[in-house]
Amino acid sequence: MEQKSRPAISASPGSATVDLSVEIAGLVLRNPVMTASGTFASGREFAGFVDLSRLGALVTKGVSSDPWSGNESPRIAETSSGMLNSIGLQNPGVEAFCERDLAWLAGQDVPVVVNVSGHTVADYAAVVERLERERGVAAYEVNISCPNLDAGGMAFGTACAPAAEVTRAVRAVTKRPVIVKLSPNVTDIAEIARAVEAAGADAVSLINTLLGMAIDARTRRPKLARTVGGLSGPAIKPVALRMVWQVAGAVSIPVIGCGGIMTGEDAVEFLLAGASAVQVGTANFVDPGATVHVIDGIVEYCRISGISSARELIGALDT
Amino acid sequence: MTCTAAGHDTHPLLERVEVVRNDRVAEGVGLLVLRAPRIAATVQPGQFVHVRIAADADFILRRPFSVHRASAGAVEILYQVLGRGTRELSMRAAGDVMDAIGPLGSGWRVPEGTVHALLVAGGLGAAPLGMLAEVLAARGVAVSVAQGAPTAERLVARDLFESVARRVEVATDDGSAGERGFVTVVSERLLAADRPDMVFVCGPEAMARAVAAQAAAAGVACQVSLERLMACGIGACLSCVVTTTSGRKRACVDGPVFDAGEVCWDGTEVPPRH
Repeated sequence: MEQKSRPAISASPGSATVDLSVEIAGLVLRNPVMTASGTFASGREFAGFVDLSRLGALVTKGVSSDPWSGNESPRIAETSSGMLNSIGLQNPGVEAFCERDLAWLAGQDVPVVVNVSGHTVADYAAVVERLERERGVAAYEVNISCPNLDAGGMAFGTACAPAAEVTRAVRAVTKRPVIVKLSPNVTDIAEIARAVEAAGADAVSLINTLLGMAIDARTRRPKLARTVGGLSGPAIKPVALRMVWQVAGAVSIPVIGCGGIMTGEDAVEFLLAGASAVQVGTANFVDPGATVHVIDGIVEYCRISGISSARELIGALDT
Repeated sequence: MTCTAAGHDTHPLLERVEVVRNDRVAEGVGLLVLRAPRIAATVQPGQFVHVRIAADADFILRRPFSVHRASAGAVEILYQVLGRGTRELSMRAAGDVMDAIGPLGSGWRVPEGTVHALLVAGGLGAAPLGMLAEVLAARGVAVSVAQGAPTAERLVARDLFESVARRVEVATDDGSAGERGFVTVVSERLLAADRPDMVFVCGPEAMARAVAAQAAAAGVACQVSLERLMACGIGACLSCVVTTTSGRKRACVDGPVFDAGEVCWDGTEVPPRH
């Protein structure tokens, strides 16, 4: 696998003629490919496999105000074309994050989106307030959709009022772009998207994992210690595409699409459905170079289709 | 000073690997030889490779395998057919190509001055101990092996152990070789008889825990190689955590080899401030 090779523009077959840049909430990204929170840590582990400066943006693992130790093991279970996880947002807390991760990221040429988690509305605001003292944060992604917490997380993302409340609380303490990450575990995701838009979100990202479960029939036990967890991977792509398409039609802020993207063509499908950018998640576990392969795949698609700018693809679904 | 810590300093890489041989060595157990010159050149005993068995199957995750032996541009893997991935792996033939990330993890540590080592293997736990036995013997360390398996046939790598160890004693569930019963009976006896200065253990967690307790009671340092379900293998996903006296650590980068004394075997801990 090639590492650290960075030809002139975006690196790949015919890239000189393809403009991949997109704009999200005032941020101009060199291409629409971001990492999905929790699948890329803070990037350090991937630096030997991926030239981080090629990414559109790096979204960090969720950060909370205090350290969280996460859930018991087993924390993952493989399922058909996907996996369940119940990591539980294990993280060292915002102080350690600033010292260890943000400091390291400052030396990398990539926009950093910090994913923020909390058990309470005040928790979310506290994390963002602490991060406001730091340079090198391009935007926040507010995680109101983690299915693996007993308190907070997805509880905020499954009804309009608490989703809006968290969004307002974060909006009140920062001028940086605020992306709200939505849960698919709802009856009407467009309604939640409209609520966070009205509360001041600059963009929405979706989908987080689908709540699921796996059972070992032989032992009659759940495969995850916490019984239930979040489903990700190619298995969820049709659900994600449908929700991105619905939300893109319901809000006027940019939509960042996510869910089972493994290839450039998958990413293009999300752009066509109305996403302005995409996130690559589970694919990073399968292939640590997945993000770059997705970027190269988008370039290849554009070149073959005679498209000069990836922006032409956004919402260009032919129905 | 340790001699086998080089894995900490070498970066893992993704390498296209080619199947040289894939042989059935016992009921449900295969020995896979992969041509992997770059991984073979730096792998240390106790490290593992993370293999993408199929690129277009409906199971997507890689599978981690301890490197059993490494030589001349190739690595050997011992695997048990347990699920989709290993079933698929068992069908790979010479010439097939896959990709592997490695070498990964922090392997066995052999302190300077180690004179006599006891290796305790349970079932496929023999896998990461093969290369260790060879390296120890080459360094002039006396090696004793306590090995257990369900049947005589499944005492995998027994020949390797017998070729380098001062003595190998075995136990089988069915009594088809050695003692009938658990390997812990053998390890207890060898701990007392050989007075090793380091115990290296790999096997089912209950067995590893029991051996660790025996070593602790005998006042002998002990390392255990632990198995966890793993997604990324490179320290990012936090799937494979092991609860230790200093918090949760990742089996893929902080392990898979841990000092037995730091492992909280029942998995409980007081979460930090929450």
